[in-house]
Amino acid sequence: MNFSILTNNIDMFLEGFKVTLMASVIALIASLLLGAFIAVLRIAPNKLLNWLGTIYVEFIRNIPLLIIMLFVYLVFNFKGLTAGTIALTIYTTAFIAEAIRAGILSISKGQMEAARSSGLTYGQAMRLIILPQAIKVVIPPLGNQFINLVKNSSLVAVIAGGDLMYQADLISARTLVVMDTYILVAMFYLLLTIPLSLGVGYLEKRLAKSN
Amino acid sequence: MIVFDQVNKFYGNFQVLRNINLTINKGEVVVVIGPSGSGKSTLLRCINHLESITDGVLTVNGISVSDKKTNINKLRREIGMVFQHFHLYPHKTVLQNIILAPMKVLGQTEAQAKETALTYLEKVGISEKAYSYPSQLSGGQQQRVAIARGLAMSPEIMLFDEPTSALDPEMIGEVLDVMKALANEGMTMVVVTHEMGFAREVADRIVFMDQGQILEEATPAEFYENPKEVRAQLFLSRILNH
Repeated sequence: MNFSILTNNIDMFLEGFKVTLMASVIALIASLLLGAFIAVLRIAPNKLLNWLGTIYVEFIRNIPLLIIMLFVYLVFNFKGLTAGTIALTIYTTAFIAEAIRAGILSISKGQMEAARSSGLTYGQAMRLIILPQAIKVVIPPLGNQFINLVKNSSLVAVIAGGDLMYQADLISARTLVVMDTYILVAMFYLLLTIPLSLGVGYLEKRLAKSN
Repeated sequence: MIVFDQVNKFYGNFQVLRNINLTINKGEVVVVIGPSGSGKSTLLRCINHLESITDGVLTVNGISVSDKKTNINKLRREIGMVFQHFHLYPHKTVLQNIILAPMKVLGQTEAQAKETALTYLEKVGISEKAYSYPSQLSGGQQQRVAIARGLAMSPEIMLFDEPTSALDPEMIGEVLDVMKALANEGMTMVVVTHEMGFAREVADRIVFMDQGQILEEATPAEFYENPKEVRAQLFLSRILNH
């Protein structure tokens, strides 16, 4: 393994790492909030809302992320990184919505009935009783989605987003050291995903204890 | 206080409630009995609109439960409900379970709500468990917490949906004792149960249902000594002589 690739191009690797980290964190937070919203749409006692939620999920999760990315990039004429982060958010939201919906449905119907029969509104019951319980169930599948999100962010390279993958493409094209460059890039991705995995595992254990 | 007037309910083509006419007065304890699938629980769940009726009129305190203009959340403040499977909130302590609705629905302060909660916990005999989680309690204790949770809203009516059916036999007594005490204080209660001893001792009136109909309405003495309906006689002979 040729480590001079790393030392000679450390600035580019770090820049790519920073960009990938930023795109992932922004898309993660945004898709978590939007995902919770879409999940509630799909479950709310209103046919129109259910229908809107279902259309979003089925449409978005059944087309390739790369196409969504190109679409946002070309149609709205955003910069690569901006378009990429938006596309990642749109795409990941669909999967997170499904994970959260499954979590909500796993909570016994009696919880909602007990809450409603004490006079709480649907919204209060959802917020105070159902979602806090659902979040525990949802953490492992959310962890999977977050890891996928970080890895999917490598597609941003295709629209010149300046991320890790993009930098690696530049370095390998310039130096013609292909294998080692991509091995190094894989290491940088692991630097992001392994702590994420461990963090999710830790959270899972801690929440399990509180029950 | 609760009036069913020609109430029918269908699930698709299946009729769960047939021509129900029933009046429950303030301070009365009405026990609803009957075989499984007879519509007892559905009848009870219509009172606080966990189930909606298909036609007829059902009023609580003169307010129509099925009317779209009725503020159902407001009506439900007056109606406490205890479920077969308790349905305590597992992520909250006993005390948090009890103070939640008084704070969020009635707008009480935490201090007020806690004070009330502790009074009711003492009343149901488990004040020492105030800071435990439901999973750390036995079934009987959980059900007593559920009763305290209902009472903390100071309701005018308490509904009990087979409150002892999910309990170990040893735990049934402690829950029935709490319910008896409540009945003696004059609470209006509608109780769906298979506990014949409780029904006989505490009920002001027994309502016997089968196949979605009320077949017989009588005082416990009349009903147990001399049931008029053949179906009621059969039901009683099966459950009393086993």
